[in-house]
Amino acid sequence: MKSETEIKADLRDWIVRKGKIQAEEINDKTPFLEQRIISSVQLMELILFMEDLSGNAIDVKSLKKGMLRDIDTIYANFFTNTA
Amino acid sequence: MPALGSAGFQPAMRTGCPRSPMQAGSLRSLLAFKFMRTLEQTVERLCEASRKDFANPYELSWPETVDPDEWYTSPELISLHGTNYFSELSEAQQKRLSFLEAVNFFSLNIHGEKALIEGLARRLYEKKSGIYSDYLHHFLDEENKHMVYFGGFCMRYAGKVYPDKKMNLERDYAPGEEEFLFFAKVLIFEEIVDVYNVRMSQDERLAPIAREINRLHHRDEARHLVFGRQIVSELFEEYAPQWDTEVLQGIRKYLEQYLLATWKEYYNPDVYRDLNMTLPYDVSQNAFEQEATRAHRREITRGCTGYLLSHHILENEPYL
Repeated sequence: MKSETEIKADLRDWIVRKGKIQAEEINDKTPFLEQRIISSVQLMELILFMEDLSGNAIDVKSLKKGMLRDIDTIYANFFTNTA
Repeated sequence: MPALGSAGFQPAMRTGCPRSPMQAGSLRSLLAFKFMRTLEQTVERLCEASRKDFANPYELSWPETVDPDEWYTSPELISLHGTNYFSELSEAQQKRLSFLEAVNFFSLNIHGEKALIEGLARRLYEKKSGIYSDYLHHFLDEENKHMVYFGGFCMRYAGKVYPDKKMNLERDYAPGEEEFLFFAKVLIFEEIVDVYNVRMSQDERLAPIAREINRLHHRDEARHLVFGRQIVSELFEEYAPQWDTEVLQGIRKYLEQYLLATWKEYYNPDVYRDLNMTLPYDVSQNAFEQEATRAHRREITRGCTGYLLSHHILENEPYL
């Protein structure tokens, strides 16, 4: 299982790649949805990536607003039991 | 329920839409008048066709079980076709994958139609839907019936529907943007599905139940696509002149991303996991990036992108 640092680095790389931005433009507290770095239609891809990273299925219907706000929030909500 | 006839046009008239171009006095009113006349005529023709030609989804002849020796998705339409992943599978595994991809294809349709039904139901008897409210009844009725056989196949033979991973975020829209995007997304989704439906309904290699479901779906979708193409181009013609460059570019970027996201659902890691492939997420990502699958997506989407480009809804061919 990957460490917290590795998981957050993977999430950052994914956002940089899909959002077509420079790595230095975001940190773990950047609200990447609010800032429209990642759009709503890209969320399905993010969910699939998170499932692969955590090894757990995510029930999209149970997601609440804010759970995907930034990398720190994603880590706390989806990886703290498996990291 | 009484026949609605052309009553769907009435609410728009009562709410002050121009009765004739002479009364309009502005380009926008003129466009709105043209929009209503053309769409109204199409809606009348489609309502007539829906009343005369409808399928009963409860009379399908369901086999007891699926036959592992049969194809359920045309091999050329299987997501991994043209990649080493596919050629390295035995024929029995390829046929198993064709069944799982049929379950995925029907699951995608269920999720797409659920969202569509929600959106269409919201628009029933709204002022701005006045012209086409009549047709929304048929649209809703037919989409509901489609889910009967899509769900019937998935639950009978796979015991599940693959879960929906799409999410929508609430946001503010420019005038007309939400309405336009709703119908544009429906059109993109249905255009891709319909190419699959047509090809599989004619593919004699497929198990009869798979061919029949694809045939039934295409029968209704042909009408939905006529409606979709008309309303999308006319909404764009009506609202695009009011959008500033930033809004218009945002809409174009969103539609390109939606096209891509729609296609990604065809490369479902859950399907590859059910086939016991190792690293199913990587399979999905790698297969999607290969030139063979890109060429396939471009070919299937050609009609849809051609329509969007010819109506200047998109400016450039999207990278699929």
